[in-house]
Amino acid sequence: MNALTVKDLNVKIGESHILHGVTFDVPAHKVTALLGRNGVGKSTTLKSIMGLYQGTGSIELNGQQILGTPTYKIAQAGVAYVPEDREIFSTLSVRENLTLASRNKNNGDAYKNIFELFPELDTRAAQLAGSLSGGQQQMVAIARALLNENEILLVDEPTKGLAPKLVTEVANALVKVAHETTMLLVEQNLALVKRVAENVIVMDQGKVIFQGGPENLSDPAWVHEMLGVSGGHK
Amino acid sequence: MLRWKYSRPLLGVVMALLALAPVLGNNPLSRPGLQQTMAVAFIWGGLALTYDLLFGFTGLLSFGHALYFATGVYVTCILINHEVVSWWLASLIAIAVSALLALLVGAASLRTTGITFAMVTLAFGEAGHVILERNFFDLTGGENGIALNANLIPQFWISVVNTKYIYWTALAAMALTYAVIWWVTESSAGRVFAALRDNELRVQVLGLNTQRFKLLAFVISAALAALLGDVMLLAAGSAAPRFADAGVTISLLLMVVLGGAVTRWGAVIGGIIYSVATTRMQDLTQQDSFKTIPKWIGGPISEPAFVLGLLFIFVVMFAPGGLSGAYYKLRLRAITKKSQ
Amino acid sequence: MEAFILIGITGIGLGALYFLIASGLSLIYGLMGVLNFAHGSFLTVGAFVGFWVASKMGFETTIPEFLLAMIIGGLAAGLFALLIEQLLITRLYERHIDQALVTVGVSLVVGAVLGGWFGNDLRMFPTPMWFLTAIDIGGAQIPADRVIYISTAILLLIGNWALLKFTRIGLIIRAGVENRHMVDALGINVRKAFSTVFFLGGFAAGVGGVLVSVYSNGVSPLIAGSYLIYGFIVVVIGGMGSVPGSFLAAMLIGIIKQFANYYATGLGDFVVVILLAVVLLIRPQGLLGKVRA
Repeated sequence: MNALTVKDLNVKIGESHILHGVTFDVPAHKVTALLGRNGVGKSTTLKSIMGLYQGTGSIELNGQQILGTPTYKIAQAGVAYVPEDREIFSTLSVRENLTLASRNKNNGDAYKNIFELFPELDTRAAQLAGSLSGGQQQMVAIARALLNENEILLVDEPTKGLAPKLVTEVANALVKVAHETTMLLVEQNLALVKRVAENVIVMDQGKVIFQGGPENLSDPAWVHEMLGVSGGHK
Repeated sequence: MLRWKYSRPLLGVVMALLALAPVLGNNPLSRPGLQQTMAVAFIWGGLALTYDLLFGFTGLLSFGHALYFATGVYVTCILINHEVVSWWLASLIAIAVSALLALLVGAASLRTTGITFAMVTLAFGEAGHVILERNFFDLTGGENGIALNANLIPQFWISVVNTKYIYWTALAAMALTYAVIWWVTESSAGRVFAALRDNELRVQVLGLNTQRFKLLAFVISAALAALLGDVMLLAAGSAAPRFADAGVTISLLLMVVLGGAVTRWGAVIGGIIYSVATTRMQDLTQQDSFKTIPKWIGGPISEPAFVLGLLFIFVVMFAPGGLSGAYYKLRLRAITKKSQ
Repeated sequence: MEAFILIGITGIGLGALYFLIASGLSLIYGLMGVLNFAHGSFLTVGAFVGFWVASKMGFETTIPEFLLAMIIGGLAAGLFALLIEQLLITRLYERHIDQALVTVGVSLVVGAVLGGWFGNDLRMFPTPMWFLTAIDIGGAQIPADRVIYISTAILLLIGNWALLKFTRIGLIIRAGVENRHMVDALGINVRKAFSTVFFLGGFAAGVGGVLVSVYSNGVSPLIAGSYLIYGFIVVVIGGMGSVPGSFLAAMLIGIIKQFANYYATGLGDFVVVILLAVVLLIRPQGLLGKVRA
């Protein structure tokens, strides 16, 4: 059973053709890692699924076509998005960021879960989100996505630019979340990917060049060839 | 290529006919009334083209372009009336002053982009308008403006029988503007302007100083607007604050959008038609038959802004590209049909 | 000292009028990226509807009658703004230059229609007699109408603040000013916020229109002209999308302009433009504006 099916997705931004017929599946209740070098179109893929870029082809969520639907309807259909640069609302307080994101009135349990995951957000609820550290901002961005019932979670480089200690904290949170939801994760940190990924997609130059199990991630030669990094940590 | 192969010979023929019309026997253009109307229309055609260089070719939405046109009108008029220099030199000085002013204002406004730039240029333009209305140092004549002292300019521009000289001067000024802008936009700088409009980041990546190119476009269009202002001074016989009104720039915007941006001839035709239409519409609404239309509908129609405003909204919403854009679309369709 | 107080309070009164038009301009720009040249026509529509209501009550109105006319004028302008937004602006979604161009067209058409119907001469606005009296503040005789301008502006500032701070739509608007795509990505139709902002901006401008016609001794299709331009200047100086920034800048400009005009007629406009240039050079994003990503 696939939660998300992307077929022959082509996306142009201005005059540049970014995605050339991207095709892949995201199985339900599993974590799928979307990997590849910088600039191969991973973030563009996530944004296109979210409806933030327009393209041609097909994107199906549980069998329903969502390509061409307005972004807010895609989100309401159960696609939650944690963007690359967090994009939290810096002039709003932490509480306001969460209130805005929550579309459900009976959300007591959702809040409880989030504060269990990130106790800091509870103590800093009144603080302006812009004054938080990078790691705390990332927690807000993830919490925002977890407040609603979702079919799939799109997470774009959650550990980018974070201090090692925070990387672990965010990673632990993702591992916890991973048991309960479908996730499409873009991540450069191979250690984290190895911990959570049950399925791997590799992209190069706007195309999918590999889709399969995570076993190859332990093969340094494969990793080097596919991702251009020398295995292990980057 | 979308260009019609006879377009250049046609342009030559049209220009020759327009130039010879006042002395080619009895035709509408041999009468001073239409010569005057057309002289003013040519000035607007040229001005629209200078605005196209900013808005169409470089993507700068300026709302303060009237300032440079008015600078041309006023500086020339003041220098002549105070017998500082002759008309010719006064015109050159006015063009230089306008270019310098554009350099200063442009350097400050170009720190902003897009919509903010529009607001900022509007503010500077209006400041100029207000200053002209205030009559500082008794120079600008306040709200009434200043009449040009006709004794101090070459005499072939004076009196109604000589209207054809003003007509020719305006035609020449328009042609000169066209030639300069053609040269600028076809040169390598012109390609940078176009690239700036489409993708500023890419031009920056190429290592070009985008600010300097934008400023260059801003200054060139200001200098040409001042040149056309000099000619307007001859045609109107006076310098008045209405030349600096934000409404002038808005009219230019309408002309360029209605005629079609980035095609050069679209802006010129847009300017000429707009100018003639507003003049003629006022004549039309003075007729008796017009007075029979009920006032609730006749009142708005008698204001040129009503029809032009509606037309403008229609073009922006449904026919972007305007007149010349529609022409190229038709041509493209014809060419693809032929090649099938 | 009396002159000082008089000029200061008159300046604040003028600033209040600028604020009424700038607050809407600023929010509309901040949230949607639309440079709204039609804002002047919202002001004029409000002024004419308010004038129509007030004239039904005679050559002179009581204070409640005047306030009623002002609110109806504001509502009419708000509805008109909503109509323009629904009919024209939403169809040019994200095409910012075209949106600005369409609003230019609207301002031309509205000006022509009102000019064609009513002519461009000033018509006396029926105001309460109380407006013509003077209030003694610290020895200075302050014209009473200034009090109405200032209190209306303050009420609207508070109303605006409360709406933005305590309601869900206010939360959406504030978030949208910062990043409207992310609001969409959270499953919220940000376009609903657009309509709200247009209505509110239109309402404030319409109320402003009634007050401007009192200040300029009558109604005409031409009264909006300089206020729209000052509105833009206030928005640029205050910072796009910041309502408190607009308030601060409006007061600053009103006061500076009045004092400059006191020392030399016409100097005010000049000083304001110099101020604009200085702000642009030092802080291009405006006093309380954020640097946009």
